[in-house]
Amino acid sequence: MISEFNRNKIINVSCLDAETLAVHGILDDSIYSLELDFKVRIEGLQCFAVEGRWRRWTTPQCPEALKFLAQAEGFCLDKGIEDKIHKTIGRTACRHFANLFNESAYAVRETVKLLRWQQFQGGGGELSLRDFLAQDKGQRDADPVAAVAVTPAETPAPAAARPRPESSSRSPESNSESSFVIDLHVHTAPASPCASDSLETMIEEAKRIGLDGLCLTDHNYLWSADEIRKLRDQYEFPLFRANEIVTEQGDMLVFGFYEDVQGIIKLEELKNRVAAAGGFIVAAHPFRGFLTFGADDIGLTREKARAREMFRRVDGIETLNGKVTATENDLARNVAADLSLPATGGSDAHDKSTLGCYATAFTRPLKSETELLAALKSGEYKPVAFR
Amino acid sequence: MADHILKFSLNRSTNVEQLADGNLLSVCRLRDTFTEAEIRMVVKMPELEIAEISGSFRHAYLAEIEDLNASLKKLLGVRVGAGMLKIIKGLLGEAENLEQIVYMVEEACHGVILHLTKKVLLKAPDDAEGKFAFYANMVKKSIRLYDRCAAFAKGSPLVAELEAEKRAGGEL
Repeated sequence: MISEFNRNKIINVSCLDAETLAVHGILDDSIYSLELDFKVRIEGLQCFAVEGRWRRWTTPQCPEALKFLAQAEGFCLDKGIEDKIHKTIGRTACRHFANLFNESAYAVRETVKLLRWQQFQGGGGELSLRDFLAQDKGQRDADPVAAVAVTPAETPAPAAARPRPESSSRSPESNSESSFVIDLHVHTAPASPCASDSLETMIEEAKRIGLDGLCLTDHNYLWSADEIRKLRDQYEFPLFRANEIVTEQGDMLVFGFYEDVQGIIKLEELKNRVAAAGGFIVAAHPFRGFLTFGADDIGLTREKARAREMFRRVDGIETLNGKVTATENDLARNVAADLSLPATGGSDAHDKSTLGCYATAFTRPLKSETELLAALKSGEYKPVAFR
Repeated sequence: MADHILKFSLNRSTNVEQLADGNLLSVCRLRDTFTEAEIRMVVKMPELEIAEISGSFRHAYLAEIEDLNASLKKLLGVRVGAGMLKIIKGLLGEAENLEQIVYMVEEACHGVILHLTKKVLLKAPDDAEGKFAFYANMVKKSIRLYDRCAAFAKGSPLVAELEAEKRAGGEL
């Protein structure tokens, strides 16, 4: 028995004085070694004096991460801060520092609970820790003013936008036939919390780059038919509704199905419901992998890949997705061919800069969602590199 | 105030080992002032699917988790990879006494990813020039790394070649 990867994290919290905590965190694993020190004002849970140190790292540029840690100054470490830490520290500095920061934030919150209980005991209170915290939580829920204020310093998150071409046109090599090209996988803000451009912005960009239509696939979000009709008329641009639904086997693009599904649904159940509605399911980015290794690095062969249970329950496979590597798209294309499943393409854009990088070319213009659904079922289309 | 005496302390360890059949065993353990917990999972390779999972949880103030192992079984077949957190949360729920379990499952999954990452990183040359080329090539191969952290941020020397190619292709 040999442990081949080990990660150890230690977080220690002490009281500097009655108002301030000192936090020291260490993350030491088989790849990285880093440390984090900061202080926290107990009232308001605001952190300050953030300092980091590298002991071991990977790329020659990793040390640059330290200068971005100061973005966390003023963050309120109350529950719910995790996403903000990932989006700031994780994206601009290093995700391992973000991991350690979030672990430290948890330790701070637990420390404050302990301090409140000890203060209560010091005042003669006789409740157990569990009973005290249950009562304390009840009081805080009933009186939000008494709750810890969430007053993070609003350090703006770095723009996630990628560079966009100054001009763009259809690539004759990739899509030479006369066709009707729709980006079948598009996210918009605020419908998708991870997206940064509005639907209006995306429509304007789609028109600018010459797409023939957009299909909205916001995460577990159902646009109303009226809203889409108005925007379609206002912009004189074809818009279609679909949905990207999370299942236990990954994300599915669902067309012609207008139930508002929230949370995780089993793919088998989704398949039954979509089939009953006459809809169509496409497995989105089925081999989306990891940042530093891909399917080929772990020995996922074409034969093993196509045996995945998921492919028995979908009607098509997204074989060109703008957020995955060429190798991952190639594997999806091979599996679709092996299983004789139709293939689609979509940018998976979350902002306008990547809109239309991939799309789906249909053989004729599509005027309604009914026509789009019929076209998807006909199999008369192909994924294309568009932008 | 004895400021050198700790108020709260946390130790979390994650360990990954390869089993005789090639699958990976990932174990995440937590011991902090309030908690003693463990998540143990076997990940089937190369599918990267959770094939076995069990756990234990003891806590100073949170309610006991009723039939934790039955809850964890909901995760069987879930693939370790991008987007797994929302699936884990969705399947286990977000009850207060399950929050730490959700996090530990995610940590155990991250252990698997980092174990596989380590194998790739072992291929990096030792000399400075070779190392630089190795990482510059890595971001070219996996575009998702671009602008994802300080090392691969826009303007970083590691992405200079990639950005030059993008400029030539009209993307910048």
